[in-house]
Amino acid sequence: MCSNMVRCLGDGNTSLQKLATSIVFFFCLSDVSCNSVEQKIYVELNNTVPCVRLLNATHQIGCQSSISGDTGVIHVLESEEDLEWPLSKGPNPPYMVLLESSLFTRSIMMKMKNESNRVAGVAVVVPNTSPPEFSPHTTCPNENTGVYSDNYGPNLAHCNTTVWNPRGNGLSYEEFDFPVFSLKEDNETEFIKQCYLDHNRAVNGSAPQYPLCAMQLFSHMHAVTNTPTCMRRNDINFSINPEMVCDPLGDYNVWGSIRPYNDTVFGHKENESVVIAAARLDSRAFFWEVSTGAEGSVSGFVTLLAAAQALREVTHEAPPTRNILFAFFQGETFDYIGSSRMVYDMENGKFVIDLDNIHSVLEIGQVRTCVKNLVNNLQSSTAGLGFLLVEPNVSQPLPPSSLQRFLRAQPIPGIVLADHESAFNNRYYESFYDNAANLNLTYPSDLSPEEQLEFVTHTAESLTDVATVVARALYKQAGGDESRVNTIKADPKIVTQMLYGFLVSSNNSWFQAVMAPELKNILSDPPEYYVGVAMSSTPTRLVQYLLANLTGAATNLTQSQCQKPDELPNESRQMYSYLWVQGIVPPNSTERDSFCVRASVRLTKAVSPAFELGEYASKDYSTWTESRWKFIKARIFLVASRDLEVKLQSSSRIHICLINYSCVA
Amino acid sequence: MNLERLPNEEKLTLCRKYYFGGFAFLPFLWLVNVVWFFKEAFVKPTYTEQLQIKTYVKCSGLGFLLWVAVLTTWITIFQHFRAEWGEVGDYLSFTIPLGIP
Repeated sequence: MCSNMVRCLGDGNTSLQKLATSIVFFFCLSDVSCNSVEQKIYVELNNTVPCVRLLNATHQIGCQSSISGDTGVIHVLESEEDLEWPLSKGPNPPYMVLLESSLFTRSIMMKMKNESNRVAGVAVVVPNTSPPEFSPHTTCPNENTGVYSDNYGPNLAHCNTTVWNPRGNGLSYEEFDFPVFSLKEDNETEFIKQCYLDHNRAVNGSAPQYPLCAMQLFSHMHAVTNTPTCMRRNDINFSINPEMVCDPLGDYNVWGSIRPYNDTVFGHKENESVVIAAARLDSRAFFWEVSTGAEGSVSGFVTLLAAAQALREVTHEAPPTRNILFAFFQGETFDYIGSSRMVYDMENGKFVIDLDNIHSVLEIGQVRTCVKNLVNNLQSSTAGLGFLLVEPNVSQPLPPSSLQRFLRAQPIPGIVLADHESAFNNRYYESFYDNAANLNLTYPSDLSPEEQLEFVTHTAESLTDVATVVARALYKQAGGDESRVNTIKADPKIVTQMLYGFLVSSNNSWFQAVMAPELKNILSDPPEYYVGVAMSSTPTRLVQYLLANLTGAATNLTQSQCQKPDELPNESRQMYSYLWVQGIVPPNSTERDSFCVRASVRLTKAVSPAFELGEYASKDYSTWTESRWKFIKARIFLVASRDLEVKLQSSSRIHICLINYSCVA
Repeated sequence: MNLERLPNEEKLTLCRKYYFGGFAFLPFLWLVNVVWFFKEAFVKPTYTEQLQIKTYVKCSGLGFLLWVAVLTTWITIFQHFRAEWGEVGDYLSFTIPLGIP
């Protein structure tokens, strides 16, 4: 291009030629002014979320785009019948279909999947108000890795008796070979719709004329086929450019106990009997990483945290006979990653206790309101639950829960606390609509964020009642003093602060006070509950520090002592973990009152045993991995017709000189 | 290198070197042999060494065609079936494309 320009200037005067060459060379190096042409052509879309590819032992799910992005003419779908235009009638395939959330249904997506050579991609507009119901998960969550199988309770396996998630349309577990992005309902989406109305509408039945408004989506995924293939390709050494293509899903489990355990002594402990209280931490949605899991998981672990806090005082004054271990499992959505790992560690002597040390398990599932039936049941329950039932009257399988993984290893008495008798009451199970509104978490409109933090909502009061019942049941199960049971009460203020922090905004004063200084930047608007691959998910850290704050004790140690507590006579890092937290800001100062918390709260790795053992095709353990990718972006622009592109290339050489002049000027 | 200036014995030596060199899994040496010495072997008027040069050129040509046949067959089979061979296909590859089987 630059040499053309020099020739254009003429073959005459050589010194003028040399001067021109140097000027052109200089300008072509610093082509800052030429980049504005790109900005005039493309409009980048910033608030988009892609759907990514996940793989397990046998399948791949999710979406894939081609390596240089998929371009398609935008078509805003008005109804299901309107699908004829992109799929058969429209004259300018491929099309990029823009869907409102009411049209994001299984039948429309499957029709587009079958005609995927005319569909370049799909963009879904996610509204601020939720539809009546929507669940992209399967109807029978985790059906192959629970306790029921063809060998054990075959009539209860594969949801033969109870379909847990009847509203599930299974979209999250389908494979699409075009990209699917989600857009928010904001100015960008209005701009896209306006571009469509201006250029792409057919006028009086005639085909729309070029140039047309087009969208390009880039979400090229590296992994393919299934987990054994992608893990094998990760390990190949002698290729020219070794590339990692996928990573196993996983994070950390959080556990804490009333009486501390020595963190270096693993395996069976003589005469030790433990009651485990469990809840799950994670959830998912169709699109990558956006998942709020309000009823699905947040309600459960917030209740358990409140119960742990309620038990703190009474267990110090009148310790029960058995120990109580609070366990928060991460990765349960994807075939029980966290609980299968903990059971595996217990079976192989890599955890502080053993399966034989477990007396019983109490798990908190999806809880929304006061659970009347089980409240009465638990209040009259005696120590020694010898049966495994959800409802005492009906013979029914356990819902998908971490308890199933414990039962798969060994028969242990257990209870799962849930707000549904058979099918889930949650209308948005594992979807991006399972948010604060789903739990009826509403605040009066005139409150500031700090006031909202303190306001005790109705939901918080219900969950507090559940937490009180759970705490009393745990204390009785652990053989505590019967006369003190009625003094155990959960604190509604703590429950409402936790609900605010986990579902509305985690960047509030209480969460800031409870977290470590180096982690204060991870707090933002509601945290994402997707388990992810980076081993650094925000909910895990939040639950770790909250559990430490609610069950541990503040100490007088300085920051350096907090990092090396073994030098002090009474402190031991093997028995406790020592966390330096920010503390509150006193009224008349700007410095935080940081201090050291001593608590028996630990993190254990929650990566599926399939990856430890190298059995990537395992049928017993979770084998979920997430693909890697280079970049993900979306942009819209006006596209010209194909034949014009060819003509333009041949005539461009003649016009290059003029364009260069205008570019440089 | 201009073959015009070389005496005939040296032409023969050169042709022979390229012919024997091609046996070390170097089929392009045979191709060079054929192209370079074609005129010498078949177009120029006869001279003493020309018969030997002709033999070498013919054998080089045959060898090169054999290599082409073998490589084309192998490349076609590999490109077509690499994805289906799974593990074996991956271990035989130097670069594996991302995102497609």
